[in-house]
Amino acid sequence: MKFKVIFSFLGFLLILFIGIPIVKMMISTDPSTLVLTSKEPEVYLSIFLTFRASVWATIIALITGVPLAYLLARREFWGKKIIEGLIDLPVIIPHTAAGIALLTVWGRNSLFSKATGINVIGTEISISIAMFFVSVPFLVNAAKDGFKLIDERYEKTAITLGATQCKAFFTVSLPMVKKSIISGSLMMWGRGISEFGAVIILAYHPMTAPVLIFERFQNFGLKYAIPVTVLLILISLIVFIFIRIFEDK
Amino acid sequence: MNLKITNISKKFKGFELKDINLEIREGEFFVIVGPSGAGKTLILEIIAGLLKPDSGEIYGIRNKKIGFIYQDYMLFPHLNVFKNIAYGLNIRKIDKDEIKSRVENLALKLEINELLQRNVANLSGGEKQRVAIARAMAISPDIFLFDEPTSALDRNSRIKTQEMFIKLHKKTCSTFIHVTHDFEEALSLADRIGILINGRIVQCGKPDHVLNSPVSKKIADFIGYKNVFGGSIENNTLNINNLNIIVPIERADFAYVAIRSDDIIISKNKIESSARNSFFGEVENFFKKSSMYEVILNVGIRISIDITRKSFEEMDIKIGDNLWATFKVSSLKVFKH
Repeated sequence: MKFKVIFSFLGFLLILFIGIPIVKMMISTDPSTLVLTSKEPEVYLSIFLTFRASVWATIIALITGVPLAYLLARREFWGKKIIEGLIDLPVIIPHTAAGIALLTVWGRNSLFSKATGINVIGTEISISIAMFFVSVPFLVNAAKDGFKLIDERYEKTAITLGATQCKAFFTVSLPMVKKSIISGSLMMWGRGISEFGAVIILAYHPMTAPVLIFERFQNFGLKYAIPVTVLLILISLIVFIFIRIFEDK
Repeated sequence: MNLKITNISKKFKGFELKDINLEIREGEFFVIVGPSGAGKTLILEIIAGLLKPDSGEIYGIRNKKIGFIYQDYMLFPHLNVFKNIAYGLNIRKIDKDEIKSRVENLALKLEINELLQRNVANLSGGEKQRVAIARAMAISPDIFLFDEPTSALDRNSRIKTQEMFIKLHKKTCSTFIHVTHDFEEALSLADRIGILINGRIVQCGKPDHVLNSPVSKKIADFIGYKNVFGGSIENNTLNINNLNIIVPIERADFAYVAIRSDDIIISKNKIESSARNSFFGEVENFFKKSSMYEVILNVGIRISIDITRKSFEEMDIKIGDNLWATFKVSSLKVFKH
């Protein structure tokens, strides 16, 4: 009994810490202002843009990150620890620093830009690049942990039954880690939506929701920043709750 | 075509195989038996082509279909029983109706036809095993590889499973290679046995032959010889703790002699017979087993003797009793290492 009370109390403290600012902000916003704000093209376009750019980043991460996660989970090779460190790096470095690093590769004077003549800075692509860089560890690590939990002998069994290694991967291993990959993708997508530091360095315009919030706060003050913030939080919350319910089914 | 394993060596994840040579006849039931950690699974994975040996070759495996049944069955948890059994057939892109009839046929044979639509997570151990066997059988393998398939089962299911293996072997006429740590199981299943200790095949032969003629102390220990004594031999006599045991070889600087617990006779009075080894000692302890008693008699050395429950009760043996132990010279096995 005591155990339950103490644990519930400690958990409750944490929920208060996260919940109070959000609830307080929501009740301080007049619903009619919220509706008005949501009808502003600048606002809904930026929210769409944010969600969309993060979807692109997540798709690219699925295509490149899942195979990497598989290799990291299954194979031993030279430099594996270095690669694992590199994957974790974006989580700990300041995201403005990540943005600066990305500029050296994708910026207007970079080799890439000069060689191809393509400028990605200030476009939706650069937003996706920034989101990808800072949030890909969530997907790779979740998928890696998923693969690690799956006994290798499942694949070996599939191979003795006539499957190629590739077929065994797609028909056995991948379906078995589906949950880890989906939840990793969601984490990555959500983390991408929230990204501000790296995005603002690569693309101030077109404006993502976090940049828009920052700009309104900077230019017009708290009162103008809150409705956009509440809107973004509400939509994200609804999307995530829906996904969790769907996931359980 | 026989399966010929020549000079296979492999180091992998803390296990090691050293210079394995085996010839397994087509259609044979071959059991590799050894203590855990001996490298048994490694041999199977190399035969199945899942691992490359560091050196050595396997002949007679090319284009052979393999049915591999792992210890914990490895049923695919995201597929139901039907789809598990059909996996190898789906890979081969066989016609859907054909797959359905083949799977149903196999399920009927293995008495799992009621389970086809079930989730594999909800099956009992025995059911899982039969599904795994059906899945392997679906591709009509030339060689079945069994990796300790009975070690997770209770005694009753284990015996039933062994009976099923013997039937299955007769029916399929395929080569069976089975690994186990249980020597009793090897005896009841095998046409021939290979004993694997510390990554080496240390003895290979028919079950009776291996049981009666272990070639080293390690093997004798592993297959259940309780009486193994070492010392120097002179004039056909092994002297140990002032006890003179008459043995079948004339001399050796050092040798082990071993005798099975059921090759020794126990009696209240000295028996006048052709058996030349007779020793007097005190009962130190006894253990009740399923159909017999093991008596530990101290005659200067401790010897273990198996007697039937009936004899034990008739002789009314108690700790501290003084008894005679008698055995023939010819029932002693002698080996150098």
